[in-house]
Amino acid sequence: MKNSRKLLVALATTTMLTVGPGVALAGEGTEYNISVWAAAGPSDIYRIGAIEIAAEQLEREYAVRGEIIHINIEGKPFTQWDEFRQGVTLAAEAGTAPNIVVASHVDIAPWAQSGLIVPVEDYVDLDSWPLNDIYPNLLEITSVQDQVWAIPQDAESRPFFFWKPHMKAIGYSDADLDGLAERIRLGDYTLSDMLVDARKMIDAGLVEENKGFWPRPSKGPDYWMFYMAFGGEMEDGNGRLLLDKTAMAEFYQFFVDAVELGVISKNHIGTPWDQWHGALTSGQVGMWQGGTWQFAEWTGKYELDFFANASFSLVPGGGDNGRANTLTQPLVYLMTSQDDEDIMGITGELITIASEPRTNALHAVLSAQLGISKAQETVGLYADDRWIREATPVLLPYASAQPNNVNFGQYFEVMFGGLQAAWTGQKTVDEAIADVETELKAALGDNIVIR
Amino acid sequence: MGNSKHLGLYLLAPAGIFVILFFLAPVILTGIFGFTNMSTATGITGGSYMVSESSMRPLRSHFGEEALADQLMQRVYTIDEAGLQAAAEAGGDAAAIRELEARFLGQSFDRRRDVEVAIKSLNARPSSTRAIKLISAEFERSVVNTRFDTPEEMLAAIAGFGIVLNNAQTEALVDVAYTGWTFTTQNFKTMLELPDTKKTLINTLFYVFATLILFNTGFALVLSISTHYMPSRPAGFFRSIWLLPRVTPPVLYVLMWKWLAWDTGFLSVILEPLGFAPRNWMLDTPANAWTFIILINGIVGASMGMLIFSSAIKAIPPALFHASEVDGATRRQQIWHIILPQLRWPILFITIYQTLSLLTSFEYILLATDGGPGGATEVWALSTYLKALSNYGGALQYGYGAALSLVLVVIGISVSLIYLKLFDFKNLTAPPKIE
Repeated sequence: MKNSRKLLVALATTTMLTVGPGVALAGEGTEYNISVWAAAGPSDIYRIGAIEIAAEQLEREYAVRGEIIHINIEGKPFTQWDEFRQGVTLAAEAGTAPNIVVASHVDIAPWAQSGLIVPVEDYVDLDSWPLNDIYPNLLEITSVQDQVWAIPQDAESRPFFFWKPHMKAIGYSDADLDGLAERIRLGDYTLSDMLVDARKMIDAGLVEENKGFWPRPSKGPDYWMFYMAFGGEMEDGNGRLLLDKTAMAEFYQFFVDAVELGVISKNHIGTPWDQWHGALTSGQVGMWQGGTWQFAEWTGKYELDFFANASFSLVPGGGDNGRANTLTQPLVYLMTSQDDEDIMGITGELITIASEPRTNALHAVLSAQLGISKAQETVGLYADDRWIREATPVLLPYASAQPNNVNFGQYFEVMFGGLQAAWTGQKTVDEAIADVETELKAALGDNIVIR
Repeated sequence: MGNSKHLGLYLLAPAGIFVILFFLAPVILTGIFGFTNMSTATGITGGSYMVSESSMRPLRSHFGEEALADQLMQRVYTIDEAGLQAAAEAGGDAAAIRELEARFLGQSFDRRRDVEVAIKSLNARPSSTRAIKLISAEFERSVVNTRFDTPEEMLAAIAGFGIVLNNAQTEALVDVAYTGWTFTTQNFKTMLELPDTKKTLINTLFYVFATLILFNTGFALVLSISTHYMPSRPAGFFRSIWLLPRVTPPVLYVLMWKWLAWDTGFLSVILEPLGFAPRNWMLDTPANAWTFIILINGIVGASMGMLIFSSAIKAIPPALFHASEVDGATRRQQIWHIILPQLRWPILFITIYQTLSLLTSFEYILLATDGGPGGATEVWALSTYLKALSNYGGALQYGYGAALSLVLVVIGISVSLIYLKLFDFKNLTAPPKIE
């Protein structure tokens, strides 16, 4: 007994000396310090919290196997994306990157190329529970170059919303409203129909001028949905970015038309968020486009009786070539490149346990995000939530995502710059498209296909 | 005290270190970065060599090495002697390795996951994912997605898998496989090609000179001269009021302007009864946005000129004013013939100082319009910040951003030289003739 204790102490001491920082001897057993940096607002505490829960579970599992480990989780939430990304990249350059990063899937491509992150598939077992139950399309979103780089942490979707009382006032029956989401999915109700209905609401005095239709009031991936609504694709299928000029022009034109119709103002971008939330949760806006997670804020802070007043659907298609669609931008667990394989192994195990349905449901329900795995639909907490239950089947199967491409960030900024120029009337649609094309050619060269 | 002439240098040494670290080094690094394609994807500290889908694309399109790219991109995992031995050395479970050898020796798989499925089918299957990974890591017999620190290591690995490259192929492969940044002048070419570069430059010049002429020197002169002719107490009071915007935190100061201007704000409320529909007055048109930006910056900026000019006017010998009054000079003549000539030096100082600070300042624009509407108020410094440090898709372009800021440095220096010429700096600093 005495000898085995000596051996244990010797072993632990050796481990401590060889594995360096992050691992230390703590009484009996090995101590691991795992840092988690997350893009997380106030309702996203379980982005880090799930790793803390996983740490407790993992300590127990090791104890059952006869090994004592202690895991300390140091969480650091960031509310601003710019600050978060600068923080992560600079820390990595300085060699002090956190072990786990909870970021957007679009960060995978640049961080993978720079060597900041490693493919998570080298440290987790994707063929075993719970990772083998994750929705395949989400795992596809976290894959680059045939490798799975990250484990989805949540899913969301950016739907279209209608203010039911106003829809009824312009002639829709309850049955019509119940069937509208399906009509939109089939392409039977398009963005042009939406503009007509929005104008009707203004003419009927139900909403003020420029408040017929309100999309997101700031820069965001949501606007790609309108590009896709007109048949646009972001990638050509061979890993190259794609600009479909016709679709982009029709998408810009849609917003120009909406301004001319008086359905939306030309300087909608820049509307303060609280003004936006306040207006659309009090029936001042006829239709809007938002995010599934905003449900939490609307029904909480703004006290909206959602199901009595609002209905939701995919974003309508734009016409013959278009399609109804929605976009998901999953946040993901990423593992950074570290020298110590032991810590990397523990990190992989933590991410695996944190992805279990019951644990992930805590985040999904608290933040009104959608879940990541099929089994989650059977977890009571998740299944009992009406919003998630109803939204998941209507939206998630039709959700696409932005491509994981190192140049996508630049494409994004150029697309949005062109949209704003056309929308605010600084350029005509043709001028904006011509400038977008020139800019993309100059900035991305062969890395973008222009059609 | 023989060394007293060096005392100042010693005393300043700590400050010198700070100056070098925080002022000089960033400027030099910006100069270097401007000639690179550095970005989030390339990293800052250097790259590695990697055969991947994206690095093979230029090998196919630029170098026409279709067959080589296909060959390199073939992923193979083979259970062979070397791999088994390596797994044992890495500390893999001995029984599992023995059984793996007995059942799978010589077999190949497309994916590491398939190797792991094989390991998990063993009777002596290791007890944890980590133990399985420890073994499966040793059987890859291709270079796809493997990071090598040097080209030699990569080429040796490729040669080890029996792929023979000629010189041209080697050169092409080393070129495309590098993931880090390289030196280039492409940033400046791109800048010239982009349609918005010219617009941003014009915006910048308009912003700087409009704010400078109307407020930072113009209005500052008006304030200092008018308070000069006031009794001292109300003059002091007025000057203090003009200092208030300067001491208000920028975020709050801009927020108040936004409250004033947005569509449920003060302006909309008082203008609605007069028949103007409520709107976001700040972002309604480019003209509106510029008006607000110049007001926001100018009202803050005028205070510094006001202070400097007022003290300079105070330094003019009162005898000059008294004498001119005896001679029957009007106020206008006093301003023209006494005050302004005496203010040439402070005006030069304020003009240069404020030009440089306006050229590089974008915080009020970022907070107020964020370059809107539709990019109409995007100035050079804001554009630099957005390119280098703010990208919604996470692709920060450090190299291009640095190149943009280099241009700003060149503009700043050129403008300063022009001012020195315009104000006849040599004469201003010439020793007085009567002494």
